[in-house]
Amino acid sequence: MKCHLCEREAVSGLCPYHEAAKARVQSAYPLWVRAYGRMEWNEYLDNVKRNVQTGQWAKEIAGFLKGD
Amino acid sequence: MSDGYTLVICEKPDAARRVSDALSGGTSHADQVGGVAVFRFSRRGEEFVVCAAQGHLYGVSDPSDERAVYPVFDVEWYPSDLLDEASAIAARRISTIRTLAAGASRFVNACDFDVEGETIGYNLLKYACGGKEKDALRAKFSTLTEEDLVKAFEDLKPQHAQGLARAGRARHAIDFVWGVNLSRALSQSALGSGHRYRTVSIGRVQGPTLGFLVQREKEVREFVPVPFWKVSGTFEKEGKRFNAGYAEDRIETKESAEKIREDCLGREAVAVAVRRSSAQIGPPVPFNLGDLQKEAYRAFGYSPSRTLQIAERLYLGALVSYPRTSSQRLPPTINYGGIMRGIGKITQYAAYTEELNKAELKPVQGAKSDPAHPAIHPTGEKPKRALDVSEAAVFDLVVRRFLASFGPSARRELAEVSLEVGEHEFRLSGGRMIFPGWMKYYGKYAGYKDVELPPVSQGDRLETVGVAVEEKFGQKPSRYNQASLLEKMEKEGIGTKATRADIIATLVGRGYVSGESMEVTDLGLSVVEVVAKYAPSIIGMGLTKEIEEKLEAVETGGQGEGTLLRETVRAIADQLAELSANEESVGHGIDSALMSSVAGSFVLGKCPLCKTGDLRIVRSKATKKRFVGCSNYSSGCRASAPLPQKGTIKTTSKACEHCAWPVVYVMGGRRPWKLCVNPGCPGKNKP
Ligand SMILES: [Zn+2]
Repeated sequence: MKCHLCEREAVSGLCPYHEAAKARVQSAYPLWVRAYGRMEWNEYLDNVKRNVQTGQWAKEIAGFLKGD
Repeated sequence: MSDGYTLVICEKPDAARRVSDALSGGTSHADQVGGVAVFRFSRRGEEFVVCAAQGHLYGVSDPSDERAVYPVFDVEWYPSDLLDEASAIAARRISTIRTLAAGASRFVNACDFDVEGETIGYNLLKYACGGKEKDALRAKFSTLTEEDLVKAFEDLKPQHAQGLARAGRARHAIDFVWGVNLSRALSQSALGSGHRYRTVSIGRVQGPTLGFLVQREKEVREFVPVPFWKVSGTFEKEGKRFNAGYAEDRIETKESAEKIREDCLGREAVAVAVRRSSAQIGPPVPFNLGDLQKEAYRAFGYSPSRTLQIAERLYLGALVSYPRTSSQRLPPTINYGGIMRGIGKITQYAAYTEELNKAELKPVQGAKSDPAHPAIHPTGEKPKRALDVSEAAVFDLVVRRFLASFGPSARRELAEVSLEVGEHEFRLSGGRMIFPGWMKYYGKYAGYKDVELPPVSQGDRLETVGVAVEEKFGQKPSRYNQASLLEKMEKEGIGTKATRADIIATLVGRGYVSGESMEVTDLGLSVVEVVAKYAPSIIGMGLTKEIEEKLEAVETGGQGEGTLLRETVRAIADQLAELSANEESVGHGIDSALMSSVAGSFVLGKCPLCKTGDLRIVRSKATKKRFVGCSNYSSGCRASAPLPQKGTIKTTSKACEHCAWPVVYVMGGRRPWKLCVNPGCPGKNKP
């Protein structure tokens, strides 16, 4: 089975690289909420996707989680 | 004295010419033996013939020449022309040296004095001169100036322990065994999964080096930034304004950052503490090869391998000392005064040497040393030919570093002011040079800038004119560049000063890392992934480092090279067995990376219509024709364009100046032509 986002092999939908990026995106969410006081999940994903500092795999995952 | 002549073997033809000129006082005459230039002269009644290798004339290989067969643990030394049909030059040189050896009664190895040079000389003496590797004498020198060469030949040493040559030969054998087996195991696996043969390999030091890059690449690609805020204030005193940063660098929440602004606006600031200090900055230590490579990268952007090539040319021109050195020390035996006098004859340095000569010449010394050569330094000779831009740049850097190492410490005056606004603190700082010391000689490479010192005294009251709150984001880790990777290799103790630059260049050449940005490719990621899974020692640091340490022990005579080779073979045999047992999944991993590295290269650029997709080359399932399509086709973008069906399409990363669609090169035919892929490009109908 292929990863949803790349050509690599995946166990449950995502390859290990995108799986790791997903964990990073999820674990940074509370930090963003704390920093701004409040932030919706979808708005957060948009911000992460747009940010120039975000890594390629994390960007791809943010788009994927948002359902783009 | 017997009848024959003394045969001198140098590492390179330029070195042979310099040795002959120096020993003969310019009276040597060039001769051709078997189509190779040699030099003949007599010195104090003794006849000399000087010849040269051209780098390694012998290499290791396995006696069976079946590329599908592994493991291979048997190695032999062969003349390079048998290993590589392109090196007919090697065959000619070996045959010339063999002819000359027949008439020689004494042999001198005058190759560069280090592991590679010893190996080159040893192999020629052993295989081309009929087993003279133990009887030959050794000429040891660190520069190709007349003075040093004459001194070296008046003090020829017997070839005693030969630890360097043994370590060099062991290194070649180990690296061959490593490379050939890995390459065959990996390429064979990829072949097994159905694709045509392509060499996939990973050398002994390349493995862990690529491992560092992959580790960093993952951090970059997974990175999620976290926001923070930076607060700074503008303060005014007697009509002059100053910018000061908030004492705490990062404010974690937007709310706290805005509260600081509210608290401070409209309130007076008081200078509660003014700290003035001065700092001494000592001169930089003399260059070893790694330091020179890093500094040339910083100053000129030259890759480590380019810098080494340039330094080598300067060495062969007798302008700088031997560059493959670990030493950061300049012993008095190099004759500081003589070199200063020489450099003083070059106009742009004359004033500096005159100044330095007024005091006792004593350079700062670094911690690292090298038993064979001093730190890289100018010889004091003036360039006899015009140097090209890069040679002139590296030469200037070496001269200025040498001068700087003799200079006194520089002194800087620093000031930091603490401003209190209610319960908040801001900091104002500045620094300026009060005595340049060595920085004057090091010139533009010193890289210090003055920042104005605030004229504020303790107790001064300032008006708070404004407070700025700036939203920031954590920075993703930066990828290695060629210089920082070299530094990492040095720090971890893998590779040697002579090989590190080449190893980095090979990683780029094999397509594991893309050029300047040092971004790891999908192929690089996959190679590390599969090798780390089935043969972790190949990619890990432990084994490679252990071998490096043992090779050093071979150099100093503390370890036999045969034992080391056997140990290495044993260590990699287990790993190879694992790779072999898992041939199918190894092959699959590498294969999909090879495929996606091909797919990746077919992305032409951003789609000008939907602005988020990539335009790429796709092949129609129905017609089998290639055309340009957008990666957002499935979500509705209909950007597409026809392509010529003949010739190779090469991407350019350039957008058309008329319509912003990607531009490609179509190769094939007599010359490549440039094409904007947009069929409706307004630029197309223009003359
Ligand atoms: Zn993936």
